[in-house]
Amino acid sequence: MKAIERTTWFLAILIGVFGAMAAHAQITLDITKGIEGGGVPIAIAPFSGGAPENIAGIIASDLQRTGKFAPQPAGSRADYSVAGQANSGGSRGYVVQFQLSGAQGGQLLNLSFDAPANQLRAVAHRISDLIYEKLTGDKGLAGTRIAYVAGGGGTWYLVVADADGQNPQTILRSSQPIMSPAWSPDGSRLAYVSFEGRHPQIVVQDVGSGARRIVSAAPGINGAPSWSPDGRRLAFTLSKDGNPEIYALNLGSTTPVRLTSGGAIDTEPVWLPDGSIVFTSDRGGSPQLYRMAPGGGAAQRLTFEGDYNARPAVSPDGRTIAMVHRRGGRFHIAVLDLQNHQFRVLTAGGLDESPSFAPNGKMIIYSNGQRLTAVSLDGSVKQDFALRGNGRDPVWAPFAR
Amino acid sequence: MNHWIRPLIVAAALALLAGCAATGESTTEEQQTTQDATAQPSITAQPGQEAYSYGYGQAPVGAYETYDAAGGAAAGAGGRPGQAVAVGAVPADRVVYFSFDSAEILPESRTIIEANARRLMKSSRTVTQLEGHTDERGSREYNIALGERRANAVRQAMIAMGVTPQQIRVVSYGEERPAATGQDEQSYALNRRVEIVY
Repeated sequence: MKAIERTTWFLAILIGVFGAMAAHAQITLDITKGIEGGGVPIAIAPFSGGAPENIAGIIASDLQRTGKFAPQPAGSRADYSVAGQANSGGSRGYVVQFQLSGAQGGQLLNLSFDAPANQLRAVAHRISDLIYEKLTGDKGLAGTRIAYVAGGGGTWYLVVADADGQNPQTILRSSQPIMSPAWSPDGSRLAYVSFEGRHPQIVVQDVGSGARRIVSAAPGINGAPSWSPDGRRLAFTLSKDGNPEIYALNLGSTTPVRLTSGGAIDTEPVWLPDGSIVFTSDRGGSPQLYRMAPGGGAAQRLTFEGDYNARPAVSPDGRTIAMVHRRGGRFHIAVLDLQNHQFRVLTAGGLDESPSFAPNGKMIIYSNGQRLTAVSLDGSVKQDFALRGNGRDPVWAPFAR
Repeated sequence: MNHWIRPLIVAAALALLAGCAATGESTTEEQQTTQDATAQPSITAQPGQEAYSYGYGQAPVGAYETYDAAGGAAAGAGGRPGQAVAVGAVPADRVVYFSFDSAEILPESRTIIEANARRLMKSSRTVTQLEGHTDERGSREYNIALGERRANAVRQAMIAMGVTPQQIRVVSYGEERPAATGQDEQSYALNRRVEIVY
């Protein structure tokens, strides 16, 4: 990974130099192409036993998708090897056992799981994440979930799927639009906008039970819900006073507190870990991102590249903001580093929108309005999701607790 | 009248289902957010209901089948240039179109706005819902705000023509309900609109 970082920095400097030579104030970097041929070879043998899931295949696919590993057939020359068994037995139906070994034969992991047949897929993802964490030091994403909106034109769906797009589960079906799902920090609830009754309202739904609660149905816009880091408050947009403004609602209270004022559009609030709020505003004439203190008040402008920066998303460590960025009439996903102020365009662009960070901060999932794509922050991996229908408004769930 | 009363009935039914006091649809007073939190359990289909929620992994198989079909049908790299979606189309004399990135009323729209304003002034009990829309480019929630700005522009024009403000309600759908599904300027122009719904 060090090599990739070095390459990225080298490119950044190179582009910076060329930009200066061409007298353009161009400090952005398009890393959509990615870095070819990377990945640590890891040999994965088919699991013996006869389980109804191809566990080795799922692990290989999970590790391939990280961009950091190049899965190989069993017996290939590789830095690491995985072998395992899944036999019927144990208290829950199946016992899955696996070993991760280094090239010299040293055993790095040797674990076993009891699981029912319908959880074998989840066990395979868990094994992938254990291997990934052991070898990279970062938490893996294979066991995480995403939510997204599908359908349109008459029936809308809110769907929760595994991080590989498999196992999609409808948790809401409506004859009116659904928008802007947002996971609670503990991953147990989704806030979203529903137009039931031809009127937008903000709903919080318990993902496990399907129970719902309307938290805002004010006249006008009820939009863009976002959870505070402690999960106790929601920020959202209301236009009940005549203009889209940002409010925060303590979920134990009934009265949202207004945080912005003025005649401009203020919307799409997201919380930073310190409680400050980043949002979209056109107070300067074009939509740009601003940051304000937890209680509102004066806001500091964050973006100066191009004439359209909107829909911020915050990385789990609070250091990076992803956004929708327009240049040359095309919409891209771009990221801004809040510490060194580096601004980078991550995607080739078109109709890219709705970025959301993976819980380990390594990937961003986004949509072009029809399909979902994930891209790594270092630009080494780009992954298109193969969904059965369309997908938009994707949000990556936090790690399960 | 029917067109806006029906949603009100549905909204009221939904409000009851969710255990909340009122939807605020028929009043200009500030809507109280609901806190009594009589959480709505996972529910099965009932006639006339607009939305069904399910616990994770509990949706009936049929729900997924329709998702597949709708997803395919609405998947709109498809859609021919300027092709209109027929379902629920509003008559041309109740649609006001806008330029890209603009909520300014175009001179050619005045005739349509005036005709609808006259209709409202003739019958003080008639209420219209102005539904603002945008094309699909850009951020979805920002487009909700732009759509409302367009609907409010038509509202202000109607009020200036003498319509009582209480006869006009405004809702923005942003880019969520396109009139045309193509990804071309012709479709985008059809989608940047305010629909005057009775």
